[in-house]
Amino acid sequence: MRKVAIVGIGTTKFKARWIDKTYFELAYDAAKSAMEDAGIDRERIDCVVYGIYNDFFARQYQPDAFVHDYIGMGLKPMVRVNSGGATGGSALRIGYSEVASGLYDVCLVLGVEKCNDCYNYEVRTTTPEVLRAILYTADMTYDNPTGRTAASGFALAVVAHQEKYGNPTEEQMAKVSVKNHFNATRNPVAQSPQIITVEDVLNSRRIVGPFKFYDNCLYSEGASAVILASEGVAREITDKPVWITGVGASTDWVMPGNRPDIYTFESSRVAARKAYAMAGIKDPINDLDLAELHDAFTGTEIMAYEDCFFCEEGKGGSLVDDGTVMPDGRLPVNLSGGLIGCGHAVGATGIMQTCEIVTHLRGEAGERQVKDARRGLIQSIGGTLCTWTVCLILERED
Amino acid sequence: MKEEERQRWYEYNHQKYGIPLEYLKREFESELSGTVPIDAPLEIPDKMEIIYKYSYGQQSRFFRELRENKKIYGAKCPKCGKVYCPPRSHCPLCYKETEWVPLKGTGVIRACTVQYYTTSEFIKKLPFICAYVQLDGSDFLMMANIEVDDTSKIKVGTKVEAVFRDTRRGSITDFYFRPID
Repeated sequence: MRKVAIVGIGTTKFKARWIDKTYFELAYDAAKSAMEDAGIDRERIDCVVYGIYNDFFARQYQPDAFVHDYIGMGLKPMVRVNSGGATGGSALRIGYSEVASGLYDVCLVLGVEKCNDCYNYEVRTTTPEVLRAILYTADMTYDNPTGRTAASGFALAVVAHQEKYGNPTEEQMAKVSVKNHFNATRNPVAQSPQIITVEDVLNSRRIVGPFKFYDNCLYSEGASAVILASEGVAREITDKPVWITGVGASTDWVMPGNRPDIYTFESSRVAARKAYAMAGIKDPINDLDLAELHDAFTGTEIMAYEDCFFCEEGKGGSLVDDGTVMPDGRLPVNLSGGLIGCGHAVGATGIMQTCEIVTHLRGEAGERQVKDARRGLIQSIGGTLCTWTVCLILERED
Repeated sequence: MKEEERQRWYEYNHQKYGIPLEYLKREFESELSGTVPIDAPLEIPDKMEIIYKYSYGQQSRFFRELRENKKIYGAKCPKCGKVYCPPRSHCPLCYKETEWVPLKGTGVIRACTVQYYTTSEFIKKLPFICAYVQLDGSDFLMMANIEVDDTSKIKVGTKVEAVFRDTRRGSITDFYFRPID
C-alpha cells in the first residue's frame, strides 16, 4: 500500500440552520475551501468520496449525484458512503483506500448534511421531524414502531454500563458537557460555544434516562472536506502533509439484542485495536497527543475512553475526574467542541473531526493548540449502539 | 400575492401535505403578503412519502400469529439451537433455515430507560419506556415498550408479560409488556 497524506482541509461553520444556503451550496463551500487550502483546482482531483447520511434530510434521494454536478466533477469517478453517524469516518476510510491502492493520486472526501429543513408545524420546531427522518434508519419492522430514538438506544447502553461499573455518574457526564461547550468557545466553526456549569447541565430538561438537554449533541447543518494525496503529489504541493498512519474499522449487530452485552461497544474496541496496530501504537494514553471522539452523548464519550483503551474497562469516568481529557490534560479530547459543542452534521462530522486534528498537527489551532502535537486519533461511530466504528490515526511529519 | 391567490395557495398546500390551514397561515403569511425582500431565503412546505403494500415474506407467520392468535413465536436454529425473537427466517451464523417455536410471552427486562422526548410520530405518547426484553425461551433481546403507572417499578431484572391490544394490525406493536406483580 502507498502512503496517504491529507493535503487540504475545509469546513463550513456548523450551524443549527443555514437558511441562506441549499445542501448543494454548503457542499460547494467546503469543497472549494479544501481545494484552496491545498492550493489545487478541481481539475487536479481524480475521484470523490461522499459522506452523506440521510436522504430525507436532503429532501433528495442520491443527493451525491447532484453534489458531484454542482462542484464540477463530471467525468470523474465517485462513490457515496453511508454508515449513520460514522459516515464521515467511513468516507475517509474509502478515500484512503482509493489512494493507498494506487488507483488514484488525489481524492476529495466531502461530507455534507442539512437536517433542519425538516419541520414539525405543530410544535414549531425541527427536532421531532429530524428524529422521524433518523428513525427511518432504525429497523422498520421491529424497532421503529416502538418510538425509540438514537438517544434512547445509547441511554440503554450507558445505563447498562452504570449498572455494571457504577459510572459514568451524571456528574461526570455533566463535566464532559461543560468541557466540550468550553472547547467550542475556542473553535470559530463551532455551533454551540458556551460557558456553562455542572449545575446547568444537571438542571437542564431531561431527554431520556440519564441524559439531560446538555448531555446531547446538536443537530447541525454543515459540510466538511479533506483532500487526500499520494506521497508523490503531497511532496509536490505541500510542506505540511499530515499522514494517515492507522485505519481501523468494524461493525457489530445492528440489532443490539443479538449481542452478548451492551455495556461496551465491541465494534469500537476492534476498530481502535486495528488502527493502533497499523500505526504501531502500544500505549494510547502516552502515544497520542489529542483525540476527537464521537460524543453524540456525554456518556458515550466516557465509554469511548474505555473502547479506545485510554483506561481499563469500567474506569472511563475517572479520566474526567482526574482531568486527563481536559484541554490542559494529558490527552485532551474533543478540542473542537466535539459533537456536543461544535455540532453534528452527520456525514460531515468525522471529516470535521479530521480537520480539527490536522489543524493541530500543522500547529495552526490558535489558542486551543496542543503544544507540539504529533499524533491524533479520530473515532467515528454510527448506527444503533455503534453498529459501525471507524478509527483513524493521523501523524505529522517528523 | 393577492388575498385570493394566497387563499388558493393555502388550500392547495393544506390538501397536498395535510398541514392544518392555521399552521400554514402562521408560518407563511409574512412571506406571501409580499413584505420579504426578493433575495431573502424562500421556504416552502414539502413532503417525501411512499405508500407500500409490504410483504413480511418468510416472517409472515410471526405477525399473523400476533394478529390472529395473540401468540409470540420465536425462530429456532436447528443447528446451534439458538432461539431468535425478533425472529429470523435463517440463522445468520449457521446459515440454516429456522423453525417456529411458540414462546410463553413472559420475559425479563435486561435494560430500560424512560423517554421524555421523541419523534413527531410518537410525541403524544410521552413519557414512555423503551426497554430490551428477553423473552423466556429466547436467547436474544427485543426492543419493546413497557406500560406501567409507576415507572419506578421498572428496572433491570423486572419480570414482564406480554399484553395484546384489542385492535391488532399484524405489527410488532400489537403487544406491549407490563410487569408481573
